[in-house]
Amino acid sequence: MNFWVDALSTGVVLGTPLAFAGLGELIAERAGVINLGVEGMMLIGAVVGFAVGIHTGSIFWAMVAGGFAGGLLGLLHAAMTIGLKVNQIVMGLTLTILGTGLSSYIGASYGNEPFKGHLSKIDIPLLSKIPWIGEILFEQDIMVYIAIVTVIAAALIINRTRHGLALRGVGEAPAAADAAGVPVFTVRYIAVWLGGVLAGIGGAYLSVVYTQSWSNELTAGRGWIAIALVIFASWRPLLLLPGALLFGFIEALNFQLQAKGVSIPSQYLSMMPYVFTLVVLAIVWTRQRGRSGWGMPESLGIAYEREGRS
Amino acid sequence: MRGWRLEKRTAPSLASRVVQPILAVIAGFVFGAIVLAIGGHDIGNAYKAMWEASFGTGPGFEQVLIRATPLLLCGLAVTVALRMNIWNIGAEGQMAMGAIGATFVAYHTTSLGSLPILVAIFLGGAVAAGLWALIAAIPRALVGLNEIIVTLFLNYIALLFLSALINGPWKDHASIGQAYGRRLPTQAALPLIGNTKVTIGIFIALAAAIGIYWLLDRSRAGFSLQIAGGNVRAARYLGLGIGRRILFVLFLSGAVAGLAGVIQLTASGGGRLQEGLTGGYGYIGILVAFLARTKVQAVVVVALLYAALLTGGTALQSTGIPSSIAEIIQASIIIFVLIGQALGSYKLVRTAPAKSPPARPAAAIGEAS
Repeated sequence: MNFWVDALSTGVVLGTPLAFAGLGELIAERAGVINLGVEGMMLIGAVVGFAVGIHTGSIFWAMVAGGFAGGLLGLLHAAMTIGLKVNQIVMGLTLTILGTGLSSYIGASYGNEPFKGHLSKIDIPLLSKIPWIGEILFEQDIMVYIAIVTVIAAALIINRTRHGLALRGVGEAPAAADAAGVPVFTVRYIAVWLGGVLAGIGGAYLSVVYTQSWSNELTAGRGWIAIALVIFASWRPLLLLPGALLFGFIEALNFQLQAKGVSIPSQYLSMMPYVFTLVVLAIVWTRQRGRSGWGMPESLGIAYEREGRS
Repeated sequence: MRGWRLEKRTAPSLASRVVQPILAVIAGFVFGAIVLAIGGHDIGNAYKAMWEASFGTGPGFEQVLIRATPLLLCGLAVTVALRMNIWNIGAEGQMAMGAIGATFVAYHTTSLGSLPILVAIFLGGAVAAGLWALIAAIPRALVGLNEIIVTLFLNYIALLFLSALINGPWKDHASIGQAYGRRLPTQAALPLIGNTKVTIGIFIALAAAIGIYWLLDRSRAGFSLQIAGGNVRAARYLGLGIGRRILFVLFLSGAVAGLAGVIQLTASGGGRLQEGLTGGYGYIGILVAFLARTKVQAVVVVALLYAALLTGGTALQSTGIPSSIAEIIQASIIIFVLIGQALGSYKLVRTAPAKSPPARPAAAIGEAS
């Protein structure tokens, strides 16, 4: 039992950056903009957060800096794809190259320095006493709780408020939203910027809290897993949480099995997030095809062009 | 009052197609110089090293050709699909499946001579990669499932599968440290051109370019692909089977990317399966195809230039300048090209004196825009 509790508890930690970055990508995609540059934004957030953490010694400012840096790359994606209507796929891939290069360049002088700050675990009263579940979910660091609360708040805002309606409208039917007075371009800019901020925070969590050190390409493909997570959750914010826990758990399980010397090829386990995502996608797509309620925003990937006005 | 406004161009002007990319490359290197200066590095030294390692010297140019080969094939693979408005983001994984298929065939044909074994592994690799791409093509053709998502995630599955093979059943137990697959028979090595380090893989890639140019721009089949991709209603009216064409196009696209994987396996891959064999060429191929506006001739040129940039970047390590500057320059050049393309698709026009509101044909009012 201890083995599984440990794996799940580590899974929650590893799922946290995925939840941040996944929520960011979900918000951008719900506004109709796909950003394949999550990996690059996470890397920039990781390195800038780490550098600021080293210089200030503060985890708080490290997170703020990581979010700020990720947000800048998000804004670049927004300006290119919303303003200039550049193809979103191509720009996203370019953003990944830029983020990888810039983060390695900035991080060149931080390779040997560990971050000494520590984020202590906080036991939630009563809840942490629940057998197993308490240890897994309610004896974690503050960023884990912030991630959970942020996702739940985002779900409420997206599903239940006017702002959420504007966001969904812009992603589903931008022309209709425009006619209804929603500032389509502004909403998309904010959504894509937020996507960058959240990816940056996810990256900073990895470098500052999890590894507590910097190395090139530190995120190791987690940006792509975050994109898979959005699809796994069928673009529904609340489903991000179990998804992030599952994907984080798979990674944690992989570490633990290797540490125990169990000879199951770790690659097949690492494959699972992608396999699950494709299976979920196939099932949801075929069952809900042609009916509303299926999660993929109608206008995902399409630049909005205002015609007939000046 | 006369004013200015932006109007959409129907086709980009010649100046914008030729001059803008050149300006973008210059702007990218200027941006790189600024980043180098901020980091306190010698700009002249960095760019001299990049030039000498790529176009500046004979051995450098050989390295450029070696990198241009898989890049050209991946660019072509993406181009084939993109002409039909299908996004194949999966060339990276298809390269891996190509190398895996070729290795499988090579392990089972060790007694053959050089030419038959090469023909067999190239066929095996192309078919394996084409079939892998069909995993995305079939649901797209049947239920319209988004091929961008499926091809993207198939990459990771293929790359991890490759890793599992060389750490498992195909592991070369003689290798220490990094895992390798067992060596291919020596007859399976691609011949070199003269006494250079370049294999005949570059000719295979150029032959593929000619074949794809003929298919896309000179044949009826290629024309029908563009109709099927551009205007679904017109295609239905003409009786063109769209699903059938999606399967064909993605199989071909995957197979071409698979050839890149086989060449990496038999040439610079050193005749054995290893991690990093695909080298990101599959992703860069998407950028190459897009920057070349899916024109086959332009894909050849862009692939060569991009390969020079990649080659120059690797030379920086020996000068003590972080080679990550090469990625920064790559990305900034692409961004400047994209800005140029975006601005080039608009032109400034003087508006007519606005005495009355601009006349619009009556039929156009009410039309969906």
